[in-house]
Amino acid sequence: MPTEKVSLDVTEAANFIFDMSRCIKCKGCTWVDHIYMPGVKYSTRCPSATRYLFDSYGAYGKMRIGLALLEGRLEYSDELLKILYACTLCGACDVGCKRNLDLEIELALEALRIQAVKDGKGPMPEHKKIAKNIMEKHNSFGAPHKNRTKWLADGIKPSPKADVLYFVGCSASYVHPEIAQATAKILDASGTPFMLLPDERCCGNILYSVGMVDEAREVAQQNIDAVRQTGAKTLLTSCAEGYRMWKVDYPKILNMSTADLGFEVVHLTEYVDGLVKDGALKLANRVDLRLTYHDPCSLSRLSEPWVPWEGERGLWGVVDPPLERRRGTNGVYQPPRDVLSSIPGVELTEMPRMRENAFCCGAGRGTKEAFPDFASWAAEQRLMEVKEVGAEAIVSACPWCKDNFSEAVGNNGSDLKVLDFSELVLSAIGSTGQGR
Amino acid sequence: MSTREGLLKLVGPESFSDDPEVLKAYSTDFSLVPPGVPNYVVKAKKAEEVQKVIEFANAHSIPMVPVSSGAHFYGTTIPKQGGIVLDLTAMNKVFEIDEFNKRVRIGVGVTWEQLTSELAKKGFRIVMPLLPHPLRSVVTDYLEREVPTNTVYDYGEPLQSMEVVWPTGEVFRTGSASVTGYPDSPSKGGNPSGPGLDFYRLLQGAQGTMGVVTWANLKIEYLPKIDKILFAPVRDLDYALEFLYRILRIRIGQECLLLNSVNLATVIADDWSRDFEKLSVSLPPWTLILVISGFQRRPEEKVEYEEHTLAEILRNEFPEIQLADHLPGFPGLGKKLLPRLRKPWPEQATYWKQRPKGGCQSLFFITKPTWVTRFVGKVEELAAKHGYPEADIGVYLQPIEHNRACHLEFNLFYDPASDSEVERVRALYGEAVKVLLGEGALFTRPYGEELTNLVYERAADYTMTLRRVKSIFDPNKIMNPGKLCF
Amino acid sequence: MAISKEAYSVLESIVGPEYISADPAICEGYRAGPGGYECGLGYERVMTRVPGCVVMPRTTEEVQRIVKVCNRYGIPYVPYSTGFYGARSHPHVSDALLIDLKRMDDFEIDDKHLYAVVGSGVVYSQLQEEAMKRGMYIIVGGGGSQVSAIANMIGDGWSPLSYRIGLPHRRILGTELVLPDGELVRLGSLAFQDDPFWGEGPGPDLRGLLRGFTGHRGFLGIVTRMAIKLLPFQPERLEPTGISPHTTLQLPTNRVKWINFTMPSKDSMQQAMVEMAKAEIGGAVTKVPIFWRAIARAGSKEEFWELWSKETEETIRDFHVLRVLLIGFTSEEQLEYEERVLMDIIGELGGEARRTRPTDESWFKNADSAGMWLMCGGYVSVDYVIETVEHAIPHGENYAKLKRNYTPPLMPDYGDPGWFQSFELGHQGYSEFLVYWDPSENTDGVDQFYLETSKENIRKRFYTSLLGSHQPLYLTGPAFGPNYHKWLLEVKEEFDPNHVCHPPVPLAHDAFVERAEWMKPLKDWEGPAIADEP
Repeated sequence: MPTEKVSLDVTEAANFIFDMSRCIKCKGCTWVDHIYMPGVKYSTRCPSATRYLFDSYGAYGKMRIGLALLEGRLEYSDELLKILYACTLCGACDVGCKRNLDLEIELALEALRIQAVKDGKGPMPEHKKIAKNIMEKHNSFGAPHKNRTKWLADGIKPSPKADVLYFVGCSASYVHPEIAQATAKILDASGTPFMLLPDERCCGNILYSVGMVDEAREVAQQNIDAVRQTGAKTLLTSCAEGYRMWKVDYPKILNMSTADLGFEVVHLTEYVDGLVKDGALKLANRVDLRLTYHDPCSLSRLSEPWVPWEGERGLWGVVDPPLERRRGTNGVYQPPRDVLSSIPGVELTEMPRMRENAFCCGAGRGTKEAFPDFASWAAEQRLMEVKEVGAEAIVSACPWCKDNFSEAVGNNGSDLKVLDFSELVLSAIGSTGQGR
Repeated sequence: MSTREGLLKLVGPESFSDDPEVLKAYSTDFSLVPPGVPNYVVKAKKAEEVQKVIEFANAHSIPMVPVSSGAHFYGTTIPKQGGIVLDLTAMNKVFEIDEFNKRVRIGVGVTWEQLTSELAKKGFRIVMPLLPHPLRSVVTDYLEREVPTNTVYDYGEPLQSMEVVWPTGEVFRTGSASVTGYPDSPSKGGNPSGPGLDFYRLLQGAQGTMGVVTWANLKIEYLPKIDKILFAPVRDLDYALEFLYRILRIRIGQECLLLNSVNLATVIADDWSRDFEKLSVSLPPWTLILVISGFQRRPEEKVEYEEHTLAEILRNEFPEIQLADHLPGFPGLGKKLLPRLRKPWPEQATYWKQRPKGGCQSLFFITKPTWVTRFVGKVEELAAKHGYPEADIGVYLQPIEHNRACHLEFNLFYDPASDSEVERVRALYGEAVKVLLGEGALFTRPYGEELTNLVYERAADYTMTLRRVKSIFDPNKIMNPGKLCF
Repeated sequence: MAISKEAYSVLESIVGPEYISADPAICEGYRAGPGGYECGLGYERVMTRVPGCVVMPRTTEEVQRIVKVCNRYGIPYVPYSTGFYGARSHPHVSDALLIDLKRMDDFEIDDKHLYAVVGSGVVYSQLQEEAMKRGMYIIVGGGGSQVSAIANMIGDGWSPLSYRIGLPHRRILGTELVLPDGELVRLGSLAFQDDPFWGEGPGPDLRGLLRGFTGHRGFLGIVTRMAIKLLPFQPERLEPTGISPHTTLQLPTNRVKWINFTMPSKDSMQQAMVEMAKAEIGGAVTKVPIFWRAIARAGSKEEFWELWSKETEETIRDFHVLRVLLIGFTSEEQLEYEERVLMDIIGELGGEARRTRPTDESWFKNADSAGMWLMCGGYVSVDYVIETVEHAIPHGENYAKLKRNYTPPLMPDYGDPGWFQSFELGHQGYSEFLVYWDPSENTDGVDQFYLETSKENIRKRFYTSLLGSHQPLYLTGPAFGPNYHKWLLEVKEEFDPNHVCHPPVPLAHDAFVERAEWMKPLKDWEGPAIADEP
């Protein structure tokens, strides 16, 4: 059998025809890992499949639809675009499938969106508005660019130069300043000097996520150059989406490795975990709270570093050179848990769907903007789980999660607290939070 | 040629009879089902003979009633519309005892007496219902879903594959015996299911209305190396049932059953006139009988771990249950009962259900153990209403498969020579089945016209579907017409 | 002809607009292949179609009404719970209505009486967890945790744990069945009352219509609700551990334990099974095909091939590993007793225990069944037969011989005769033969091999699971029963007079042989008249 050239380049959807054609409809992409199956409730981890129910909305349906599109057997339609876009690209399908198989489901979904944009059919109208905001005002909200640093409160003094660069992100800059402020205070309390980008701009998460890869590439290159210019050794973020964008998707669309960025990309949860374990940060204040931790998708399943790959595929589908696939095993699962459970008074209780089985909040990667009902519904589903385990608070590590959960809680009129990791850590820092 | 002549020519005079005395013998049985006389009796020894007769019956639209046992208690073989009784009792070959696969293949005429003796010679037993009549056909009793006394095997039914002659006259093998040339095949007949449909299910509970089974494969088990029979006197039935929920779920025991004092007395009385009355009043209201066994390897160790667990549970959770290797006040009971549980009732003796008065109307159904005392109370209430002494009712409770369900049986004894007793039992039974059915009793084996009609009226969609299936297999409606809903 | 507007609007009024669609994108999502069980093969390419419309009912009543509408308007329909069985569970004619049952996910459990009541949308994974939480367990069939419990209970339904628990046929309790013409029949205790705890009767047992040895794949109606027996287990938790892809259940080894043994020969393996069954110990016992070991060790497809290419006919032939599961149902002491007995047996036969991980990801939760497709991308079991142990061994050996003629395109397995084990404490035996291929290659040989195995069974008088709709009915029919096909077709005709329930099954494989050029030369039996698909 002749070999065919193949690569993980998402800008060529044909690279994923093999993966789409080998989907066996086992729904490993939809169900919670059977080993961890909690029972008849909370059995799925794909919000799209769970909400819309038709097979077509699960990855197993999308693989067939994608194949039909690429083979010219299916035309674009409103329904098809909804199938492609009413999905947070949370990676549950990818990790679920890769428990047993070697198929690149997430990349196939990304490639299909890129194809849809190429074909002039995607993204959704709401996404086009956001794209315009980003290209013109450098934030997804279309708010004035100059207001980006308004979150800086008194007492927060970034250094002009430091090893750590704090990349704040659009949401913490404009909508959830408490997260940015808490992050800055944590860094201060640990004696960690940090700097900001002189002219921070949107990471381009939504651009890439909806398939606007050319625009995303432009943004990526600009941003990487800007960081390199600062000489930062570490890019720190408190936003899971931004984390994934910098660590995984920038290298992906620039055809380089994460290791080649020239700086380390670290999330606040990892960073704080290191500080606590090194003794540089003391979490001595008691916080009496029974809480549960929600794994943000981009920090967990989707966060393993990127290495570009190209090679050949031959008989039995064997590839050469061998490919170490990203299966979500090494996501940032444990560090936030270690930190939270080290806070005196905190009772960390786990939801049935945790770690790589977490049920996405429903907001990410442009989904909430185009499908607000779907995002609310997903958040409500997750909050039912929170209630099930008797938690008083849900803690996540992404402003987009916080945003969506807060809105859902507000709509339900419940008294559940929705907190970001940074806020909780800040309240646990005593007056001498510093280790030295 | 007349029907008689045709039939006589077909089977030969040795296999044929229409002698009124002979016909009369098939027209009644030990039940209260009204008599029905056949027109002819034909004996068959081989499947080919069965086939010939059925083809003949089909061609002439003559009812056929297959009979495989030497004793009948439910009226299933009493012809309702005349016709031919096909006596299969001579099809009593034990074809093979297959040790390697723990299987026996027997003709439909093989009786409990015959089979248990043959198996015991080779160190085997078959899971059995309680004290079956020695002349009952093993195959037919299992086709009719008699409930075994052993609760521990998860694979339940001993029936495997079979040979059947359909009402249309075709010989057919079910399950893995369906391969061409069986038994000359690598297939041994160990799988009851298929081919294509689960034919064996349609033959179960059918009272001979769906075809004539000529032989069957059944599962056999090794005789345990050690058996210990234990007893507990029971006054609080619910409490005892909770105990059974507990221990049967953790796979303790082989045979496990409860008999009330009347039934136990009936079974164990040696000299009837001397012993029965005394036993009836001196035995505890209920006796729990539990056998624990050690198997082929390290048998003592198996008994040991079961005893340890039992002791712990009794001590910590069920202190009121006095489970012991004897029943206080009744020496030698274990020695007497244990062999009885592995054999049919002795052939020479009056069958135990007939010992009290000669006649016995059995009322039985499947239910959940948790509902048992409610049903017992109801039957007692109805008995009182009909003037039937409560102290005369025999009750048998058989847990099924880890006590997920149970077979509950009430034995209403009566003197068949006494019109008033017969009437009383008939009336009591008639009302009881109606009331109990309404309260959720599952009469999965409806015998007798009254119960049958009640059940099939209630199960309307089942009845309709069953009739449609029957019309496929028996388009000329010749097989035991008038039984079930046919 | 597409579903008419009138029919569509009636169907929509039954389920509501949110649960029906004829959109091409929606329907395309339900395509059988090209990946899946028995997919990427001729049968899937020639016989399956994308549905013309998909509907998702919630209740038995809705299913009934839908089926009656199909009968009224002549709409072919196919019931569908997960579609994982592959080609045969998908529409075989154009413009069919696919009745997706996933919304029928009601669940009840009666712990005390050891049964659960499920709708067609409940999968084994969910049921097993609910059972195990309460000290019970079920068999998760070889199809995996992801299959519909009902579909598997009426289709297949066994695993190595069937050594103790036995056939699924015995575990079906009260059931609701919507017949092909839309009539509802309630089986078992549901015929009389509302609690489905019992499965028999009244009288003749119509559960006989639900399946044969294997199932109907939906051509004889739709089961919408079923009570399923649960089996008592042991009280300790099997703790889920690990992060994907290395998730597994940690076994409480004082109560649940696998032990692998190297045995000196195949005969000694068989003998070990017989002795275990005689001693009535164990929760499962199976031969381990060396193949499974390679899959378990491989972290990727490439690793598998690296490992597999080192094997030879000799290594296969000389690999005799027996895997035994002990379950302490009664107590720790009981497990210890069984282990002593087991060691006695193994010692007598010259076997040796190997180090065995105290974990399981394959048979309690069967989380790794999808791994069957890792190696090649194509997979089907060309037979999985329950008979006796004596039948199991030659059956596999025969297939191995026959398979040589078809390798390639079949994956090389160096003569591996498949796996076999003991079922129902030695009263039965089991053999399964799995084959794999690369769907990118010419797979005509796989289709032909599949049919040849049926002929081989007939020639050699083996029993087979691939009867009914799985192979040409007019080929297998005369050879088993004989003429079981006559009854099957009469039952089908009685209950589906309008021929709307999953046409043309059970004659689909007969049709395939007529329609596929590369199959025609194999046809050497009298077949039925097969209409062309318009």
